[in-house]
Amino acid sequence: MNRLVLLLLFVGCLTLATQFAPVFESVQARSGPEVGPLLALVGDSRRLFANHFFTMADNYFHSGFYPTIFDARKKEGPSHLDVASHEEPAGAKAGQEEADDDDNFMGKPKDWIEKLGRNFFPTTHTHLEGTDAREILPWLKLSAEMDPHLIGTYVTASYWLRTRLNKPDEAEDFLRQGLRANPDSHEILLELGRVYFYDKKNPGVARNIWDTALQKWHEQDQAKQNPNPHVREEILGELVRADQQSGDYKRLLADLEELEKISPSKESIEKYIQDVKFKMAH
Amino acid sequence: MNNVLALAGVVIKELYRRKDFYVLFVLTAVITLMLGSVKFFNDDRIVRFLKDACLLLIWISSLVIAITTTARQIPEERESRTIFPLLAKPVSRAELIMGKFLGCWLACGLALIVFYFFFGAITASREHALPAIIYLQAVWLHWICLGIVVALVLLGSVVFTAPSSNATISFIIVVGIMFCGGHLNKVAVHMGGMAGTIVYTIYYSIPHLEWYDLREMLIHDWVRIPWLPCAEATFYGVVYSTFLLGATWLVFRRKTLTV
Repeated sequence: MNRLVLLLLFVGCLTLATQFAPVFESVQARSGPEVGPLLALVGDSRRLFANHFFTMADNYFHSGFYPTIFDARKKEGPSHLDVASHEEPAGAKAGQEEADDDDNFMGKPKDWIEKLGRNFFPTTHTHLEGTDAREILPWLKLSAEMDPHLIGTYVTASYWLRTRLNKPDEAEDFLRQGLRANPDSHEILLELGRVYFYDKKNPGVARNIWDTALQKWHEQDQAKQNPNPHVREEILGELVRADQQSGDYKRLLADLEELEKISPSKESIEKYIQDVKFKMAH
Repeated sequence: MNNVLALAGVVIKELYRRKDFYVLFVLTAVITLMLGSVKFFNDDRIVRFLKDACLLLIWISSLVIAITTTARQIPEERESRTIFPLLAKPVSRAELIMGKFLGCWLACGLALIVFYFFFGAITASREHALPAIIYLQAVWLHWICLGIVVALVLLGSVVFTAPSSNATISFIIVVGIMFCGGHLNKVAVHMGGMAGTIVYTIYYSIPHLEWYDLREMLIHDWVRIPWLPCAEATFYGVVYSTFLLGATWLVFRRKTLTV
C-alpha cells in the first residue's frame, strides 16, 4: 500500500512538472530573451536591485563616504559618478559645486554617541583617483545584469573603462551589449562614438555613429519622447570636433549652425561660423 | 576563577567538536573564492568588491556562531540536567554565567582569528599589501562587539524558554541595531514630541554595535582609526557587557532550574 502511495506521488510530481514547465518558460519569455531564469523569477524587483547596485558604485567612488537613507540629501539629482562621467566642462563645474554642498550631509554630530561613532566609518569626501576607479566596475556590471535598460550604467562604465583604465575594447563590448538591449539609445551611441574617436582614433566610424545618434535623438523628439536636449548638444559638439579633424568645412558649417540654435554660448559659435566661412571662401 | 576557566574550556571544546564553525568557514571560503574567480572587464586587480563580500560573510558567520553557541548553553544544561552536578561541585551561579560567557567569547575570538586570517590572505594576494594596524583594530572591535552580543544572548537564554526563540529574537535585535541603531537620533529629531523622546531614550539605551563595524574602513583602504575612540569603544563594550551579565545573574540567581 505504501509503495502504491509513493508511486502515485511520483506520478503526480511528473504530471505537475509537465504542467508547470510551459508556464515557467512563458514567464521567462515575457521578461525578454536576455533575462535568465533567476532574473525572470525576481521579476520587476530587479530594477530596484539595479538602482541599488548603481548607488553602490557611487558609494565606492566616494570610498564609503555616502549618505544612508537616514541622512537628508540636499537635493535630488544625478550622482557624482554620473556627473563625473560626462566630459563637458559645464557638467564638471556643476558636479564640483554639488560635491561641496554634499560635504556637509552629515552636519554636526547631535550627541556624544554620534560623535564617537563617526570615528568608525569614512567621514571625508574623496573620489577614487586614477586606476582605482576600477573598483566601481563590478557594481555597474551587476546593475546592467539586473536591468539591461538602465542606460546610465553602460555610459558610466564605458567612460571609466576608456578614460582611466585604458580599456576601449572592454568599453566597446559593454556598450554594444547595452545597444543590443536598447537599440534606440542615442546616449549609448554618443559614448560608442567617443570610444572610436578618442581611443581607437577612427574618426570616420565615430562620425557615422554620432550621425546615427543624432538621427535617433530627432526620431525620439518627433515621437514626443522628450529626449535630453543636453545630449543633442553633446552629439553636435562631438560632430563639430570630428569635422574639424577631417577638415570637412561644409559639414562643419552645417553642424555649427545646428549647434548654434541650441547652445547657450551663441556668440562664440557665431564667431567660429564666420571663421569657417572665411576659410571656405579662401 | 579556576571554575570559570574550566567551564570556559568546555565551551571552547564544544565549538571545535561541533560542525557549525567548519560549515560556516567553508561556506565563507568557497563563496569568496568563487567571487574571486569572477573577472569583470578582464581586470584581475579589482579587490574591494571581493573584500566587501568576504567581510559581510565573516560578520554573518561570526554572529551566527556567537548567537547559536551562546543560546544553547544554559538551556541544554538544564534540559540534560547536567546543571545540577555542575552547581553542586560547588560552582556558584555567578561563576556558571561567567564561565559560559568567557567560553563563548573566547570561542568567538578563535573563530574570528581564523576568519580574518583567511580574509588577510585573500586581500594580500590581490593587493600585495596588508595594513596591519587597521586589521588589528577591526578584529579587536569585532571581538568586543561579539562580547556584547554573547552577554545579550546569555541574558536571553535565562529569560526565554527555548534556545530557538532566543536565537531568533537576538539575531533580529542585533541586526536591527547594526542597521538602524546609530540613526535613531535622526529619526527622533524628525518625529519630535513624546514619540521622539521615546525613540531618543531607546537610542541611548541600546548597545551601539554599529561602532564596532569597521568594514567600510577595511574595504576602502582607510589607514587606521585613532586609538582614543578605539579605547573608548572598548570601554563602552566592557561596561555594557558587564551590565548585561549582571542582569543575567540577577534573573538567574533565583530561577527554578527544573524544566
